[in-house]
Amino acid sequence: MNSSERAAAGDSTTGTAAGDRRSFFSLVAMGLGLTGAYGTFAAMAARFLYPAKPPDRRWMYVASVTEFAHGGGVLFSAPNGQAISVTRLTANGTVEDFIALSSICPHLGCKVHWETQNKRFFCPCHNGAFNVEGISTAGPPFDAKQNLARFPLKVENGNLFIEVAVA
Amino acid sequence: MTLKAKQYIIGLLGMTFLGSLVFVQWMEVARKQAEVGKASGHVPIPARSRTCIECHGKQSPGIVDHWKGSTHAEKGVGCVECHLADKGDVDGFSHYGEFIATVVTPRDCSKCHEKEFNEFEHSHHARAGNILASLDNFLAETVEGSRVPFNPHSPTPGKSVDMVNGMASAVVGCQQCHGGKVGLRTKDGGMATVDDFAPGPDGKPTKLALVDQLVRNDEGKPQFHADTWPNTGIGRINLDGSLGSCSACHSRHDFSPRRARQPENCGKCHLGPDHPQKEIYEESKHGVAFRDLLQHMNLDSRKWVLGVDYSQAPTCATCHMSAHSKNNGKVTHNPGERISWTNRPPISAVLDTDAEGKLVTATDPEERRMLTTFSAVEKRNNMKQVCLHCHTPDYVNGFYQQYDDFVALYNEKFGKPGQAIMTALKSNGLLTKQDFDEEIEWTWFYLWHHEGRRARHGASMMAPDYAHWHGMFEVAERFYMQLIPQARELTRHAETDGNPDAAKAVNAVIDEILARPEHDWSEIRHKGAK
Amino acid sequence: MNAIRQWFGERLPISPDQVLEVLDEPVPNHLKRWWFCLGGTPAYLFVVQIFTGILLAFYYQPAQTTAYESVRFITTEAAYGWYFRGVHKWAATLMIASVVLHQMRVYFTGAYRKPRELNWMIGMCLLLCTLVIGFTGYSLVYEQLSYWGATVAANICDTVPVVGGLAKRMLLAGDAYNTETVSRFFILHAAVLPASMIFLLAIHIGLIRMQGITEFRFEDEPVQDKQHFPFFPDHFYTELIMGLVLMILLSVLATVLPVTMGPRADPLVTPDVIKPEWFFYATFRWLKLFSGTFAVLSMGLIVFIMFVWPFIDGWIRRYTRFAEASVWIGIVGASLIIGLTVWEAAVQH
Repeated sequence: MNSSERAAAGDSTTGTAAGDRRSFFSLVAMGLGLTGAYGTFAAMAARFLYPAKPPDRRWMYVASVTEFAHGGGVLFSAPNGQAISVTRLTANGTVEDFIALSSICPHLGCKVHWETQNKRFFCPCHNGAFNVEGISTAGPPFDAKQNLARFPLKVENGNLFIEVAVA
Repeated sequence: MTLKAKQYIIGLLGMTFLGSLVFVQWMEVARKQAEVGKASGHVPIPARSRTCIECHGKQSPGIVDHWKGSTHAEKGVGCVECHLADKGDVDGFSHYGEFIATVVTPRDCSKCHEKEFNEFEHSHHARAGNILASLDNFLAETVEGSRVPFNPHSPTPGKSVDMVNGMASAVVGCQQCHGGKVGLRTKDGGMATVDDFAPGPDGKPTKLALVDQLVRNDEGKPQFHADTWPNTGIGRINLDGSLGSCSACHSRHDFSPRRARQPENCGKCHLGPDHPQKEIYEESKHGVAFRDLLQHMNLDSRKWVLGVDYSQAPTCATCHMSAHSKNNGKVTHNPGERISWTNRPPISAVLDTDAEGKLVTATDPEERRMLTTFSAVEKRNNMKQVCLHCHTPDYVNGFYQQYDDFVALYNEKFGKPGQAIMTALKSNGLLTKQDFDEEIEWTWFYLWHHEGRRARHGASMMAPDYAHWHGMFEVAERFYMQLIPQARELTRHAETDGNPDAAKAVNAVIDEILARPEHDWSEIRHKGAK
Repeated sequence: MNAIRQWFGERLPISPDQVLEVLDEPVPNHLKRWWFCLGGTPAYLFVVQIFTGILLAFYYQPAQTTAYESVRFITTEAAYGWYFRGVHKWAATLMIASVVLHQMRVYFTGAYRKPRELNWMIGMCLLLCTLVIGFTGYSLVYEQLSYWGATVAANICDTVPVVGGLAKRMLLAGDAYNTETVSRFFILHAAVLPASMIFLLAIHIGLIRMQGITEFRFEDEPVQDKQHFPFFPDHFYTELIMGLVLMILLSVLATVLPVTMGPRADPLVTPDVIKPEWFFYATFRWLKLFSGTFAVLSMGLIVFIMFVWPFIDGWIRRYTRFAEASVWIGIVGASLIIGLTVWEAAVQH
């Protein structure tokens, strides 16, 4: 509608300079109010949709250090169901003797298993292979220079702990 | 309404809406902060214990709830980690896919808590089960009960009582604090204990003859003899040869250190007429301060070091076990390391111990020096280190002088004389071989086991009422008004019954005692001698 | 500006002026009074529901085993999850309330009369859809009352002769509540019913635009030359104001009376008191007053009468002398519904 119709509708201030200024201010006020409020609402919706932060990580008990013979290992079941192989590689009496490797292949997420006869971790999906330290030696992971993920370990009071995500 | 007015209203309402959204965001921030502050309700359940939690979470939800609140749960130590049994364990059984045992012994705990286990096994607490061969035991098993079952006196309406279990007082009384001997039922109606299985140093049985004889339920679980389980006595004698029960102080399944730091925990056993340590503590200034300043005691702190984490008041644990700033924050699970007198026996003894932790009883000073590896003086110094957090050296030493004087007073005026009189009566045949069948035996028991002991405890922990009115006053009364007259009565009977030599011998002992200056205050020696 | 016009003009067979004319309907003066905005209110709230519903659907999992946990996640963990769930819940309540008020306004002002009978019936369809979408929404939470409310409702369906059993089985995806039921409710709530309502709403508003809004003149109003005022920007601003007031109200309600989680559904434990949501209190009480089949059939009859009311009213006005009978019948009907609702709300069982 144009200003003449608006005047007929009872708005007597249009057409004057003061009227135009006032209508500008009211327009700005309206615009700010609407965009501020609905904009914030939309921002909150966006924040809501943004995926939550990664889950807490916790130190969990694996076993007593004495339960690991040299070269021996245990399969630790993380709370999210992942099987992590924890092995003792050396016997220097420190936490560096141990290694905790994820059993999820970094290529496309299949589960690797340990082949005792070949002394390697093997992934059946695309024949990826890793050595005892989780470094890739063959297959797509080797080509992409991807290794098995390692988990932090610590030794406290003769007990081995691993840091994993709490499900 | 004009358009302009409407536009301004829209602007205003928009701002109000925006204000409400800001309020919403404020609430969201507060909620997130509260969430962080709260302990995460999400406890990671170790994979192997998941089945346990699923079933027991419904069957016995309290156990799971307690465990969830424990440090074990935070660190991923679940059910199987503690309850797992080895194939050779006699009390092990297969339960929903795992081979477990009900009783978790200190040996099991030592898998992770080796230091505490070693300290504890060498302590007197671990030997509390030795009561099973003592005078106290005789009281509970024979005087109060019966070592063999007996027939009921008359029928009980509403319940069929076939035979009466005469061990009940010992089982429910003595053994619940001191610890019983864990026994598994055998098919012949008896039970098999550590004595039958003779476990080696690794806890595995060497004699397996009775394993086939064990009574098992449908699941194959060996059944405990009701007299021996449940029992969390601190000196419990376990099937794997280890001594004690960690859950005596660290109640399961939250194994709370917080609880173990408080006097009520020790007070489950350290109370009563014969050793009222809890009541004595509550009377003392230490106890008064503790009760008042409980909230400031920082009981939930991880390390709980006196002088660092708290200093308001000492608890039992503080003085006898806990870490303090003068010993590098070292906790000991052997309370005996800080005690210089043992007030348990009729006559207090200086706590010099040998290499095996046993009391040195030698009288020759040179011999004592050779045998003693951990002297009472050293132990006292350990305790003084704790005292010095709040008291100055003169104060501490003065106290110990008062304490020593008190123990000496008891020993020399009542303890040794009483012992001498009883020995004289026994060796001269004026008492039957049986204990507790004559009045004077009860009298003597009250004097040293109850009144004399609590007098000494009262002195040791600054409770004047227990030292005096509940203590030495009653000792004196017992001694003068009962022990001496009863002894005299016995000698009188001996004389009239034709045993004048015995009477004379005993009277000589009594006279010699009463002639001493400390007993000279009364006419008592003149009575009864006639 | 003109370049843009020209660009579109070369591609679309309609001109901007034509579009504006369609949208810019003349609004009768009586709509300057606020209580006539009760039609826009549920429409606006419907948009709010679609928006917040889509947000919630990102995290909601429509499976029996995970539904409750996903709602708990939204309520306690997701950023502003409690707020959006709260707005969604309160907007549902306000939407149903405003739909009923709108219908009452239309009824008492006789705006359903010829030639607007069709639109009244479309409106009735919208009312029923709104009630069912409210019901299915609550069933998705998988709380005790969700489960048992759905079970009871399905059993009530079952008592309808001939089609009842079929209706129940279609609703529950079986003879009893099972693993397929929640997903079925979800599709009804989030796809079928919203799509149907959008379609019906388009027709509803389209019919209003085509027929024009019923003209009223209040007695105290002076006769003016201009009987109408423009939609843009005047009435549009009014609608914006309504919208903002509603948003503020929703934010306040979601914060001051936040939405909670009841106990998880347990098929083995029947709660002592099973009640539907407040908007079904009247029907629930009606069903409890009369025995199964009679109650269901009588309710069906009442709904049918409401549906064809314009024609009944027309018949009454033509063949009897009770011109304002509808008002009195309306007062009785409304009192009955309010009375039954309050009664059900007040009693425990």
